[in-house]
Amino acid sequence: MEQILANGVYLGSQYAMIALGLTLIFALMNVLNFAHGQMYVIGGFVTYTFYGQWGVPFVLALVMSCVTLAILGALIERYLFAPVIKGPAREESTMLLAAGIAFFLDAVILLVFGEKQSGVPKIVDGVFNYDFRLIMPYDRILICVLAILSIVAFIGLMQYTKTGRALRALAQDRTAAQLMGVNVDRYSMIGFALGAMLAGLVGGLLVTITGVNLGMGGATSIKAFMMVMIGGAGVISGAIWDGIILGFMEAIGLALLYQYGDITYLLIFVSLMIFLAIRPQGLMGKPWG
Amino acid sequence: MFGFTSKQLARVGIFLFMIFIGVPLIVGATGRWDFYFTLTSVALLAIASAGVWLTFYIGRINIGQGAFALIGAYVSAILVVKAGWSFWISLPAAGLFAAVVAILIGLPILRLRGVYFAMITLVLTQVVTLTALALPITNGARGISNIPLPSGISVFGIPILPDFAAMENTKLAFYYTACILMIITYAALYRLVNSRLGHLCRSMQQNEELASSIGVNISYIRIVIFAISSFFGGIGGAMFGSIAQSVYPSSFQVADSVNFMLNCFLGGLGYVFGPMLGTLVLYFGWDLLFEFGKYQMLIYSTILIVIIRFLPNGLLSIRFGKGGDK
Amino acid sequence: MSPLLQVKNVTKKYGGLTANNAISFDVAENEILSVIGPNGAGKSTLFKMIASFTPTTSGEVVFQGERISNLKPHIVARKGVVRTFQETTIFKSMTVRESVVVAQHLRAKASLAGYFWGSKTAKEDVTAFERYADELLEFLGMSHIAGEQASNLPQGSLRALGIAIGLATDPKVLLLDEPFAGMNHDETMNMVNLVRSVRDERGVTVMLVEHDMPAVMNISDRIVVLNFGEKVAEGTPSEIQNNEKVIEAYLGSVDDEIGM
Repeated sequence: MEQILANGVYLGSQYAMIALGLTLIFALMNVLNFAHGQMYVIGGFVTYTFYGQWGVPFVLALVMSCVTLAILGALIERYLFAPVIKGPAREESTMLLAAGIAFFLDAVILLVFGEKQSGVPKIVDGVFNYDFRLIMPYDRILICVLAILSIVAFIGLMQYTKTGRALRALAQDRTAAQLMGVNVDRYSMIGFALGAMLAGLVGGLLVTITGVNLGMGGATSIKAFMMVMIGGAGVISGAIWDGIILGFMEAIGLALLYQYGDITYLLIFVSLMIFLAIRPQGLMGKPWG
Repeated sequence: MFGFTSKQLARVGIFLFMIFIGVPLIVGATGRWDFYFTLTSVALLAIASAGVWLTFYIGRINIGQGAFALIGAYVSAILVVKAGWSFWISLPAAGLFAAVVAILIGLPILRLRGVYFAMITLVLTQVVTLTALALPITNGARGISNIPLPSGISVFGIPILPDFAAMENTKLAFYYTACILMIITYAALYRLVNSRLGHLCRSMQQNEELASSIGVNISYIRIVIFAISSFFGGIGGAMFGSIAQSVYPSSFQVADSVNFMLNCFLGGLGYVFGPMLGTLVLYFGWDLLFEFGKYQMLIYSTILIVIIRFLPNGLLSIRFGKGGDK
Repeated sequence: MSPLLQVKNVTKKYGGLTANNAISFDVAENEILSVIGPNGAGKSTLFKMIASFTPTTSGEVVFQGERISNLKPHIVARKGVVRTFQETTIFKSMTVRESVVVAQHLRAKASLAGYFWGSKTAKEDVTAFERYADELLEFLGMSHIAGEQASNLPQGSLRALGIAIGLATDPKVLLLDEPFAGMNHDETMNMVNLVRSVRDERGVTVMLVEHDMPAVMNISDRIVVLNFGEKVAEGTPSEIQNNEKVIEAYLGSVDDEIGM
């Protein structure tokens, strides 16, 4: 039981971070970022290259992941999403554009980093063992703590800084924010960069445990979409709860249904569909409500 | 005839001539027999894309057609392999089964709009793939292989459809079958869009509240349209399974669902024949870029991004201009 | 004679907030009845409940002896109670004529399948729709913009288009949502005449929600006044003008201009 709880917290903290980034972008621009999973994979590969290949300290490599993705996110917003959002038929166009970008990033990953699974040396050795009831390698504990710290930092940023306030205003009502003097173009870009950065950060954290490969992108995106839907797209607390819920469901499912393989994920997906059937309004949450 | 102008009839005539006589002549002259397979695939994918286009016509972005194509492929395969049905009966059965599934799933999810509906249909594709992996009747990851070729059908001893297994050139036979199916699909789609149901769909696409205020039963029409859309997906998928003679959980995945959506968007959402053109261009574009080896994906996605950046209303908008005819 | 439409003790609560509290009044056949009140008085909510766009918390709306509250909007429209919207709610990429043709779908005699196969009844329907659309646009003085795309129309014409769409359904009661909002004096007078002719020449009972006092006083047979979700007065325009509770309600509110 303790083991399942610990696994749930560990998985949930990462999922929450992925969902946060996606929900931030969604709330700000009403864009469903198909490329979120690819951004996560790029974050993983950057940390892999700096830390695993070139021996740069892990924390520095993480920073590089964040910086790379923030710049990438800003560029994508500035030169692709911003002009398309201003054009006609924006909902379909942004979705198509996001899909195109996902393909593009997949292609870039393939060319730059190749197809094979890449792992890095452990950041800390050893395993925490409490009476064989709770076994957790130290590196997982460290990653989990770092993830929770990042989430706390993100919430702090959104609550207490000028940028955070502007982003929240923007998420709530674009037009009103503009009237209040928020530089909408600038903060859309910052918001997108921040969302991409979160994806990159999770990628960098997780590469130390699961490694990274090209195929992870799409699967990660789908999980992130699910999380965003369960609690309500664009709701910050919703994203965190969803991450934790999904983490626990996965931890419990994998523990109980280990021998049946992928059935855990099937059950998670099916329960999501049933949840939506009963409570479709549950996901109509107002941004940052 | 059917209210077409002579110019439209001439265009349809040229189109039919091209696919039934022109293409076989070209293939015969160049010896590129692989073209049949490519064009057959295009025709079948265009059928599934037509369904996605139809859901868009009621204002829903559907990224779940892969799910219904996979359902169709499995239903047909199971009926043929395990129940010994003729493929030709399993084909409409596959479409109908997909439509029934669409009705059951549509009841809750069609209430969602915009990005929410798009996300849930995307997840649906994943659900069906995982279901195919988990169920005993679908054989899990091993899938169903060695599906026999479609057998002949005769009524009162008069052969209606030939036995594919006894044919020398199944490629050509499949090509014709796929083209005929595609033509029926698009003819039906054209009629539907230009009939009262189509007008009601259009009113819903533009404003559901106003549509219901003038007495349109929006939830009923949404279900009907989603069922028809999925019927197309099921038919396309079943035919694909029969040509490949096998179905696996990976036969239609999330990426395929996304591609169906791209076909519609690129062709142009304002035009009935948009998804057909979009499928042709995307499929051939991808094939042509094969020459570029490892840069194939990069160039393909770059072109996609450029098109959406500069032609937000699809390829057909170049020809018809803004607003264009239907 | 029993009234055409009855609002009986209708209450709407959103969480702890009461938008409408036990509102009751009758609408007689062939009258023009206005619902007025300051912002937040609950006029729009009441309208939505009458057209079944939102369920009532308690109470009911009865039309020709049948309960029409808490149904689906399209069912209420079929029974003959049709609402219009403010000007942004239109079929943007249809022309005026197309919109009016589509809006006649309740008049169709052929089935949807009949339309698909192009049956004789379906063809007759289409001809009838088009003829009636032209007639209706002529009546509303909109023939000259029949071919315009709705998204290109100026505000005043959009309002008229909304009424045209509503009328095309052959309603018995037409609910107009702020038909005069944002109009200057001349435009308002045109609209007043239009609404009146809808009643006089087409025999349609009209209910409207409005802010514009002079226009309401001019057009209405009777007026219902709401304030803070309660009905404070009901009567003819002259009765309402001299009602102290009404004057109080209006003096108490400043920001009348911002639409609710």
